[in-house]
Amino acid sequence: MTESPDTLPSLRGRSLAGHMDVVAQLAELLGPDRVRAHPLDLLIYAKDSGVSSGEAAVVALPESTGEVAEVMRIAAAAGMPMVARGAGTGLAGGAIGVPGSVLIVLTRMNEIFEIDEVGATAWVGPGVINLELSNVLENRGLHFAPDPASQQSATVGGNVGTNAGGPHCLAEGSTIAHVLGMEVVTADGEVVTLGGAAPDPPGYDLRGLVVGSEGTLAIATRILVRLTRNPPDTVTMLIAFTGITDATRTVSEIISSGLVPAALEMLDGPMIEAVENFVHAGLPVEAGAVLLAEVVGHPDCTAAEASLIREISARNDATEIRTASNEAERVLLWKGRKAAFGAIAQSAPDYYLNDTVVPRTRFVDVVDETYAIADRYGLRLLNIFHAGDGNFHPLVSYDASEPGMTEKVIEASHEMAQAAIAAGGTLSGEHGIGVEKRDLMSQVFSPDDLDAQARIREAFDPLGLLNPGKVLPEGSRRFDRPTT
Amino acid sequence: MTTLRSVTRQLFERLRDETADVDADFVVAPTSLDETAAVLAAAAEVEIPTTFLGGGTHVGYGNAVAADLVVTSAGLNRIIDWRPDDLTVIVQAGVPIDTLEAEIASRNQTAVFPEIASGATVGGVVAAGLSGFRRLRYGPIRDRILQVRIATGYGKVITGGSPVVKSSTGYGVPRLATGSFGTLGMIGEVMLKLWSRPMATATGEVSNASEAYAETYRPLAALETSEGSFLYLGGPDTQITSQARAVGAEPEPGLAWPEPVNAAIRLEFRVPARFIRPAIDRAKRLGATRWIAEHGVGRVDAGVGAIDPKSFAAARAWAESTGGALVVVATGDAGVDPWGTPPVSIEIQRRIKSAFDPSGICNPGIMPGGV
Ligand SMILES: Cc1cc2nc3c(=O)[nH]c(=O)nc-3n(C[C@H](O)[C@H](O)[C@H](O)COP(=O)(O)OP(=O)(O)OC[C@H]3O[C@@H](n4cnc5c(N)ncnc54)[C@H](O)[C@@H]3O)c2cc1C
Repeated sequence: MTESPDTLPSLRGRSLAGHMDVVAQLAELLGPDRVRAHPLDLLIYAKDSGVSSGEAAVVALPESTGEVAEVMRIAAAAGMPMVARGAGTGLAGGAIGVPGSVLIVLTRMNEIFEIDEVGATAWVGPGVINLELSNVLENRGLHFAPDPASQQSATVGGNVGTNAGGPHCLAEGSTIAHVLGMEVVTADGEVVTLGGAAPDPPGYDLRGLVVGSEGTLAIATRILVRLTRNPPDTVTMLIAFTGITDATRTVSEIISSGLVPAALEMLDGPMIEAVENFVHAGLPVEAGAVLLAEVVGHPDCTAAEASLIREISARNDATEIRTASNEAERVLLWKGRKAAFGAIAQSAPDYYLNDTVVPRTRFVDVVDETYAIADRYGLRLLNIFHAGDGNFHPLVSYDASEPGMTEKVIEASHEMAQAAIAAGGTLSGEHGIGVEKRDLMSQVFSPDDLDAQARIREAFDPLGLLNPGKVLPEGSRRFDRPTT
Repeated sequence: MTTLRSVTRQLFERLRDETADVDADFVVAPTSLDETAAVLAAAAEVEIPTTFLGGGTHVGYGNAVAADLVVTSAGLNRIIDWRPDDLTVIVQAGVPIDTLEAEIASRNQTAVFPEIASGATVGGVVAAGLSGFRRLRYGPIRDRILQVRIATGYGKVITGGSPVVKSSTGYGVPRLATGSFGTLGMIGEVMLKLWSRPMATATGEVSNASEAYAETYRPLAALETSEGSFLYLGGPDTQITSQARAVGAEPEPGLAWPEPVNAAIRLEFRVPARFIRPAIDRAKRLGATRWIAEHGVGRVDAGVGAIDPKSFAAARAWAESTGGALVVVATGDAGVDPWGTPPVSIEIQRRIKSAFDPSGICNPGIMPGGV
């Protein structure tokens, strides 16, 4: 959604001169190299990977918790909003600047501090790239379970910000289930540790609030991640179907059998074609849909689960079932799935990616409805799903240079979101709300629900300086407002 | 609801005036969240300290609360919507966890609630943030609470979270509510993510629980207790047999959980998992007669007859130095702070409390640091 900057909170009477003073203070703290205020520099950070843009007053690139805290104190003293940013791969506009803000880019805080193999935990900087963490762990029999398709560039801090998911979050849970503790800096520059390696820390679970809060409650400067043991056996299958309904029904039947595979992903026909043209992974291009199913565990267990999946697939008229018989084949089966977004970027100038979730029992109907909506608008729709948890990404590919096209795409996308909500679903399964879905929040939360969330925000950040205008729609804080 | 609210308010005013120095409880059992909210709104107006009662089994956690009003969840006793094909259930707070587990067992599903139910209710277990032994395999309880409905201390019904198994839509209110001990209001309803029970289960006695845990891929639990060490396995028959044999155990079908640690004073060591061994030793030195230690989790639940302040203080200092805590659960006054050093985030915790309970009537002071 194109968000014109004037819908973001304005800089209430702050002068450019004020900013110059802050820029000077930041430059003194970080050195001129790590502070950027030139319009061309600011432009580089104007967008994340969503469609909105926004501009900060200055960009700061701290390298330590102490520097983050100091940057935040300087910003707070000047009354400037602060926006945390990782790699900027977010799809909701969460990491774009708001007017007059200090954009705090955390990519340089990319140290892995400590790996505890016995306790299966690691302390990492927010700027550590998701895939790099897994690479470092490769020979230790452990991995970091959240594996967003963007894992080659997204940061762990960004994953925390959006509560990122990925194919293997079906059985393992999203980022929130893999973050045990955090060192954060609050809006006033205080450094606070939340949670930790011990179970059930006494007090409120503030860690559980900060994960997924998209930089609106605190900025994470060190993250204690939970690591997952590599399974003794993995069976990966690619299952082809003539039509989408056979595939969606197979997904529903697998889940209703009680089996929760490690991953259960789906690509529709147009997506298969786009991907195959791009990576040549040997996908069955004649198929109307493919499922990628993976089960992990003890070999006896994977064998039993894989055979159940084959049985259900066959019952739903699968046309082909391929099973990877070694790691190389497994990587090849996954290659198509992982390359999907790259493939789209190649095939269309622009795309708009939805992220709705529905109860798995409603999956079949809602998927059908999304196609009907795209048809009605005459739009090209490709679908890629984290099918097992009912999270799907209807993706509209289009050319934004056609007049009125972006608006049309957004309108259709909102209709798709509404279809999901009407079926008992919600707005975002893993990408977050940012600015792009902010104004749809009132469709899933009542005014009282939003007010409660705004109270939480106020408790963390009484002055409203952290990523203002993101996540919660304006006016969410409704009644009993303390008069200060 | 306005009539209910004004009637309740009048009653509360009388209660406040007539029982000023009497240790009397006024018990209400609302049958809906709206009623609960109306009751809390009235209680907030006249500032009556209020506590919540589920099964009453977890009374003993936290600082003592002097409450004049007891809101029970006895009237909120329905399983609202079990969706076996989606592996989710929406359930009211007053439903006993064993009632829920029995119901969903008909489709071989489990909510992974604590294995030792002894009358506990859904609301009580969520409010106390209690996870069962199978958390080793399925994660802690807060990973399974998808949505909560709370009657807040300011008398509104709010819904937090999303009604699906995966969400990045707004703040993690269900996680905030889990383990909040009724300080934000009353949790009236939750939506839970369910798991299928394993194809088969077995329990095997082992000589060394930590080694057995290290050598086994994802057991359901690995417990070391005052009665012996046990590995709990789930999966196809052939798997559990081979997993048990690999650690020298003879698998017995089914899950034989230990007897609960029933003691007037229980000590809960909560330490990073690699400190489980010294935590067990500390518990023994504090005079533990019965204890259950969860390998891979880092929790030791130990029963003691009395607390010697000096050795207790040393044990607590040690637990806190590992980044953990030593929590005391007692039915009477154990003579020590139940929680220990308040978390460093105490200021934010206080502000969260007053955001949800501005008049400070909901279980005042029960949490760490008297929040
Ligand atoms: C091709 C492609 C594929 C993708 N696939 C997936 C996928 O499979 N699953 C998925 O979940 N997402 C996916 N995404 C979205 C995106 O990669 C994730 O949201 C990711 O978590 C963002 O990480 P980042 O480092 O780029 O964060 P950014 O985009 O820089 O920031 C994201 C949000 O987090 C906040 N934030 C950043 N750092 C911190 C911090 N240290 N403390 C507090 N808040 C912080 C920001 O303010 C912002 O609101 C995909 C994106 C692309 C472009």
